[in-house]
Amino acid sequence: MKKVQVALSKVFSFSAAHRLHVPEKDQAFNQQIYDKCNNLNGHGHDYYLEISIKGPVNTKTGMIIPLTDFDQAVEKVIAPLDHRHLDHEIDYFKNHRSTGEEIVKYLWQELEKYLGKKLFRLKLWETNNNYFELERID
Amino acid sequence: MKKKITISKKFEFSASHRYWIDDWSAEKNNEVFGLCTSPYGHGHNYELHVTVSGPVDPQTGMIINLSTLKAIAGKIVEQFDHKFLNLDTPYFKDRVPTTENIALVLYELLEEQLKKEAGITLEKIRLYERGDLYVDVWPEDK
Repeated sequence: MKKVQVALSKVFSFSAAHRLHVPEKDQAFNQQIYDKCNNLNGHGHDYYLEISIKGPVNTKTGMIIPLTDFDQAVEKVIAPLDHRHLDHEIDYFKNHRSTGEEIVKYLWQELEKYLGKKLFRLKLWETNNNYFELERID
Repeated sequence: MKKKITISKKFEFSASHRYWIDDWSAEKNNEVFGLCTSPYGHGHNYELHVTVSGPVDPQTGMIINLSTLKAIAGKIVEQFDHKFLNLDTPYFKDRVPTTENIALVLYELLEEQLKKEAGITLEKIRLYERGDLYVDVWPEDK
């Protein structure tokens, strides 16, 4: 058999509120750039996050990472965001906008602490119609 | 510009399995495999996506005739359908039937049969255990 690569992907979800707003800019600027997403009191989404890990399959367990370890690592990263207001309650978003791009970058940074180089791809669904992907290409 | 064209077909099979390593203690098995150690097994409706690539035949307009793909892959998938994977298939006597391992077995069987029967290159497979969990297998050089 030819040499192969194996990746496992699992979907998780969290629900959070946010507001897209650049504090240094005036209301007109923010309204123009972010439109509805600039709503003063925020709004929310059910985010769906598909996490892919890639690496050799352990010959004993038959897994890239034991699923229980994988689930626990993900829980540590996602639980703090669930049912929170990202901009008010998560430090990273004090100086980053809580756009899908920034959220997926934040999730990568946090998940990599537990999953290391096995973290291969993230796909973050903000709504059924928008998703953001971040993939290791080295 | 170089381009690549692929065709994918979806197959379904329902099977049960159990995760257990004999030379581990029950505690260790439970710690690593959790609910999947349940003694009589449990089951899933698996969904397999088979993706092949190759030149499009100028006459038929096809990479592979879908009925050929269906016949070749269908015969392989049938071995897994409505089976207890640990005992009713020969593939998991000495490996745990995790999604990764099932996908690796399917990839190996498909790659060989597609090459032999249709001269076709297997590009990738994706095996869904459920809607929220799947494994991809593809050649190392891609």
